[in-house]
Amino acid sequence: MTQSSAVSITAPALAVASLSAGYGRFDVVRDVSLDIAAGEAVALLGPNGAGKTTVLRAIMGLVARRSGSVRVGGIETVGMSVHQVARGHAALVPEGRRLFLNQSVEDNLLLGALHLRRDRARVAALLASVYELFPVLRDYRHRMSAALSGGEQQMVAIGRMMMSDPAVMLLDEPSLGLAPLAIEAVGQALLRLREQGRSLLLVEQRVDLALQVCDRLYVLTGGAVVQQSRTADVDPESRALIDAYLG
Amino acid sequence: MIRRAAVLVVVAGYALITLTVARGSLYDQSLVLTAACFGILAISLDMVAGMTGLYSLGHAGLFAVGAYATTLLNLHQNMGVFTTLPIVVIGTGGLGLIIGSLSLRVSGLYFAITTFIFTLVVGVLASDLSITGGLQGLPGPLFPNFPDSLTGLGSSVAWCIMLALALTIFLAWAIRRSALHPVLLAIRDAEPFAAAAGVRTAVVKIGLFGLSAALAGLAGWAFSFLGVVSPGQFSWNVSVSILVMVIIGGINTTVGPLIGAAFVSMFPAYVNFSALWQELLFGALFVVVIVFVPQGVAGLLAQLWRRLRPRAGAPAGITDDRPATSTAKAGWAGERVGGESPVAVECRGVTFSYLRPVNAVDGVDMVVRRGTIHGLIGPNGSGKSTLVNLIAGQHRPDAGTIRVNGADLAGAGPWARPRHGLARTFQTAVLVKELPARSNVAIGRYARVPHIAARAPVWPLLPSAHRDSRALAAQADAALALVGMGAWAGQRVAQVPHGVEQLTQLAAAAVSGSRVLVLDEPLAGLSQNEVDHVAAILRDLRDAGVTVIVIEHQVRFVFDVCDEVTVLSAGALVTSGPAAEVRENARVREVYLGQ
Amino acid sequence: MQIVLSGLATGAIYGLVAMAFAIAFYVTRVINFAQGQLLMVAVMVTAALSRAGWPTGVAIVAGLVAAVVFGALIYLLAVRPVLAFDRFSFAWLVSTLGVATILEAGAALIWGPTSRGFPTMLNGRPVHLLGAVISLQQVLAIAAGVVAVAAFELFRRRTLFGKLGMAIAADPEMASAIGANTQAVAVAAFALAGLLAGVAGVLVGPITFANPYIGSTFGINGFVALMIGGIERPAGAMAGGLLLGVLSQLANTEINSQASDWFPFVIVVVVLLLRPSGLFSGARWPRLRLARPS
Repeated sequence: MTQSSAVSITAPALAVASLSAGYGRFDVVRDVSLDIAAGEAVALLGPNGAGKTTVLRAIMGLVARRSGSVRVGGIETVGMSVHQVARGHAALVPEGRRLFLNQSVEDNLLLGALHLRRDRARVAALLASVYELFPVLRDYRHRMSAALSGGEQQMVAIGRMMMSDPAVMLLDEPSLGLAPLAIEAVGQALLRLREQGRSLLLVEQRVDLALQVCDRLYVLTGGAVVQQSRTADVDPESRALIDAYLG
Repeated sequence: MIRRAAVLVVVAGYALITLTVARGSLYDQSLVLTAACFGILAISLDMVAGMTGLYSLGHAGLFAVGAYATTLLNLHQNMGVFTTLPIVVIGTGGLGLIIGSLSLRVSGLYFAITTFIFTLVVGVLASDLSITGGLQGLPGPLFPNFPDSLTGLGSSVAWCIMLALALTIFLAWAIRRSALHPVLLAIRDAEPFAAAAGVRTAVVKIGLFGLSAALAGLAGWAFSFLGVVSPGQFSWNVSVSILVMVIIGGINTTVGPLIGAAFVSMFPAYVNFSALWQELLFGALFVVVIVFVPQGVAGLLAQLWRRLRPRAGAPAGITDDRPATSTAKAGWAGERVGGESPVAVECRGVTFSYLRPVNAVDGVDMVVRRGTIHGLIGPNGSGKSTLVNLIAGQHRPDAGTIRVNGADLAGAGPWARPRHGLARTFQTAVLVKELPARSNVAIGRYARVPHIAARAPVWPLLPSAHRDSRALAAQADAALALVGMGAWAGQRVAQVPHGVEQLTQLAAAAVSGSRVLVLDEPLAGLSQNEVDHVAAILRDLRDAGVTVIVIEHQVRFVFDVCDEVTVLSAGALVTSGPAAEVRENARVREVYLGQ
Repeated sequence: MQIVLSGLATGAIYGLVAMAFAIAFYVTRVINFAQGQLLMVAVMVTAALSRAGWPTGVAIVAGLVAAVVFGALIYLLAVRPVLAFDRFSFAWLVSTLGVATILEAGAALIWGPTSRGFPTMLNGRPVHLLGAVISLQQVLAIAAGVVAVAAFELFRRRTLFGKLGMAIAADPEMASAIGANTQAVAVAAFALAGLLAGVAGVLVGPITFANPYIGSTFGINGFVALMIGGIERPAGAMAGGLLLGVLSQLANTEINSQASDWFPFVIVVVVLLLRPSGLFSGARWPRLRLARPS
């Protein structure tokens, strides 16, 4: 089932309500609620082990959702299997990028549009838009993705996510392990996506990147949301932010 | 007392069964004794597959080697059956040591395949060499009868084989009751945890495989007295049958393999219609059991038992029932290993890379003073975990030195650390989920209790072993109480919340009596309450003279609790010094907040 | 040359079975020990239908379909439920071997344990090639082997689904996160493996006749070929099969006619000692870690 990329006026891009999820007997994420309006970018901050990655994985369906609801573009996704969620509802850039290293750049991108494969024109248009955002990938289109640098791989991962034309885009620590210039490039790319009206959920360790790109932020600790603010209200220099984010 | 009585009852019952079989009909004897041989085989396989996670499909091959060796030695060298016994057992044991050492080179599936091929090769040798009688095989040796005075006991073969089985059951039971058993499970499920606790996992694996192989050889020796020894009895599907016996009966239990062996080998006798239907049902049984009851009969019974027994109410969450500080201090003090040098851990110029030319850790100097809580912080990818892994012995630095409690440890593996007074925890807790918290914590004391592995096969017979078991349990309980987890001591780790798991890990490291503890992100996943709890425990430890190195991301925690802090970024040292100074350092804020 | 050609023909059969193992493994990380029995199923069904009077061509197709269907069923009934129970990592070993036993005993029950006739097809016709004499059937076998490898490689590298298969092999979780129904692909892989085994069966049928126990023989030989060639790449598996065929034939001629019983094992032991990942796997010489992706 494909999801139109047109921005829905009424339904939020993502509405997570009282979500509890986990792997074993106990939940890693407890009673978490957050939402993203259409066209909005939201950051999810918090220390390691707080459950941020688990929230993203739970939205994709990669982690068992014990209770609560996850509505993407107004459609309930709890109950869908992972590959159904991935078909136009949500798409993930996972921590560590996880490209298909045995494939070329273009193949990775084309695989991202798996569910759209019958609509060749659309796939071609999406591919063009990815190459427009990341011109260097066009030069590397037939190169094995294993041969790319970390920053370039991150571009491919973001491109792969764009290719699935999802209602909400999820990114897990895209700056991890990247050199400062590459992080710059990632930030620019995310801003461009915002300009295109995409909805983003960004998990980040680098507070400055999160503040640069996002409208609002949530702070997660020990599996629960402890704070919510508008990024405009946050003064990056203040100790309160440091404490709230990292403590 | 009850235990003694129970043991006597079991032994007497066993003797009675043996007597009945020995005096019974030849048909019954043949059936039971074949099942007994497979029982020995199944138990031996469970030792390596169930307890240690080494799935071997080579036990049929070892079985064959035992049977053929006995037969050939008897036939061509005219050796008496009892003379062949030590030769066969030691020989197959030696083969087992070789195969076991293969498991270090190839893991899991590949190891299973390699052992499978071993069985195939043995089978082919048995079929094609003329000395082994080819496809027809050879008649097995004759077992000497009892002297006239004992003819009342019936067939001597029966007594012999049943005794061999009893010995095997005893060995398996002894190991299972020993302090080695949790360690074996740790090797299977949580090898880094076992290694960090001082276990030489490679040696234990190989040694256990050797023992298991020797028992398989024993089974072959016994089997040779039952008639003909031919390749058909040792084919590759026998190898799988043994595994099936273990699984159907219940893997990782003492009784399970026996139930499985009895069932599988007696199956043909009871399912008496056409041989083909029998085979079909057999195959169907494999599939049904593994799909629906993978824990086997014994496992199923154990599960039901656990469900029926009124469970001691599991505590709701982490309750702060830690003892008062003074008791805690006294509790954490006591026999500690690790010398008295003022510097607990010293790293000079440590460099290491996973993939050249990028250095994960680049020329880092770090001095951790004794009796301090030393924080190690930095963004993800800064090299903190790598540095800690180097200190803990998981990798060898490419350059630089690491001294722990004054000793230069570069080059020694993780298992050498406890000896020098260093214990560690892991970022994601690796514990044995099926064991209770106290057993996991007891593993932490492996390095302090001498000769656990050597004593394991005869554990219940040794008074010293009993003492050690009791002491271990008491120490584990005490350590759990000191971290406030006393109420969880008997709960299986699979059933405890994440915070309890983290604290169990901490208790396991602390109970080792090491003077230096290295904790890798102990706060991951903990709520604020739990974080404060951990902070208090670390202070208690420090006040008792333990040096603690902590990797953490939670800045408030780090600067509140730590005396000194080292900051890394991109593998290099940013700064190191008293916590208050480091906190105000502008470069630190830059590195963390990316400004 | 005679040795080489007839060796290649036998080797192609082993290679097809080895490829079948490898394809199923590639996608699911599971070795389907009933693969040899799928070969047998194709043979038995074809033979039975042919005896019942059906035209040979239709009987062959039916045999292949049977192998495909059983292949898919094996995944659905014996592998998938077992993979769900994560704890026990080798459960599929037991369940697929159970299936192998069921198929073998079942075939013996339905059609009797002795050999029955199989349509001769192209077996009788000799062909003179490069100074050697082989039957047309053998030529067909070699051709089938070559076509299978070529088709597979083409599919794998050029079609989207082939690339998807590679993606699933590399990172199954991520593959599902981009929209791949990994279960459906797994069933397809098992079905395809069944087809290859079936083709191998139809090719050997005229020589072995329809006997329920040929599954074990070809299964083991195919497995040995797989180990020689390398478990990670289906193309490598075919290469392993061809090599095994030729070497066995050589051993048969040079040593004695029983040698092909045990010679394969010598080869595989040597390969495992020197290069455990297989000769054509493209992996490096040092140790291989065969980890199951989560």
